[in-house]
Amino acid sequence: MQRQQVLFLVKFFGILVAAYLFIAWSPVNDRVIVPFTQVIAEGSGAVLRAIGEQVAVTGTIIRSSRFGVNVNNGCNGVEAMLILLASILAFPASMKARIAGLALGAIAVQLLNAVRIVSLYLLGVYQPRLFEIFHTAVWQIVIILAAIVFFLFWSTRVGSDRLATRG
Amino acid sequence: MGPIDWRLAVKGLAGFIVGLALWLMLSPLYDRAIATGAEKVMRVFETPKVTRLVPMPDGSIRVDRSDFDPRSPRPGIRVSDLTFNFALLTALFAVSRRTFSDRNIGGFFAASAILALTHIVATIARVMSIYVAKLGAWSRVTYSDFDRNVWGIADHGYRLVFMYAFAFGLWFLFRDTASVAPAGAKAKTKRRKK
Repeated sequence: MQRQQVLFLVKFFGILVAAYLFIAWSPVNDRVIVPFTQVIAEGSGAVLRAIGEQVAVTGTIIRSSRFGVNVNNGCNGVEAMLILLASILAFPASMKARIAGLALGAIAVQLLNAVRIVSLYLLGVYQPRLFEIFHTAVWQIVIILAAIVFFLFWSTRVGSDRLATRG
Repeated sequence: MGPIDWRLAVKGLAGFIVGLALWLMLSPLYDRAIATGAEKVMRVFETPKVTRLVPMPDGSIRVDRSDFDPRSPRPGIRVSDLTFNFALLTALFAVSRRTFSDRNIGGFFAASAILALTHIVATIARVMSIYVAKLGAWSRVTYSDFDRNVWGIADHGYRLVFMYAFAFGLWFLFRDTASVAPAGAKAKTKRRKK
């Protein structure tokens, strides 16, 4: 293992700890994360209405007479965005490349997250037996995996030393 | 960003499905093993040694204390909620040019062993987060606000983001040298040839 790879991991975990503590801090959670999650719930509710589901959105809850989902921390894509943030900032690249990577990655994660919320609602209505496994494990891993794959893809494009692809 | 290498995407998907299937099949046994490990570690640091983590028929683990009134209700935890990052690890190791190389397979087993240790620590953090905050007056009297913050953050942080970060970090440490994401590299090479 090369020194720069150890440095990458140290930076990655350092940034991740700092970023997590920041978003877990009550004022940030209440004034930034919760309103952001409400926007995500509104967007997902709009998609569900567009495909014919009679849902109402109250705060972070998407509900109909048949089923309801509450978009909490862990279901708002913020966890994947933190992984993306820490990995992109820890990787040696230009600031311009980092900003572009973060912006594109955040959009990709949130688009995929909207698919997650919509599909979980539909599973809850039409295949409730599958809801728990998809909610607990499948979608969580898919979202994080998507963020990691995006980072690896980005790093091979912008990195001068292709740190992420070397052993 | 360049073309997607569909062969690697399929490998990643296959790794994820295999990991998920293994996790689903082995969870009942694995959860017991993790609970046993967590109980042993907790009792090393406890005076008196009172914590017992008892597997229940529904797959949950009952958090028992021998110094509590036997008639009082016991909280339960689901260890499987703390261990499904195993599927992420398998997916990441599957996304390799040489998935079944000795180094990749050896790395996968080494990473899995260390991941199991993080599962034990995560289970301890889960139980402690219950002790420090969820048992009413007993929690308030027995533990300080500092304890509540430390164990609360440890438990919440693990479940929100660090369980994935550990899987990613272990894969990064133990993967095969000619590992993932050659798609971008291929694209660069092609452009250079032109």
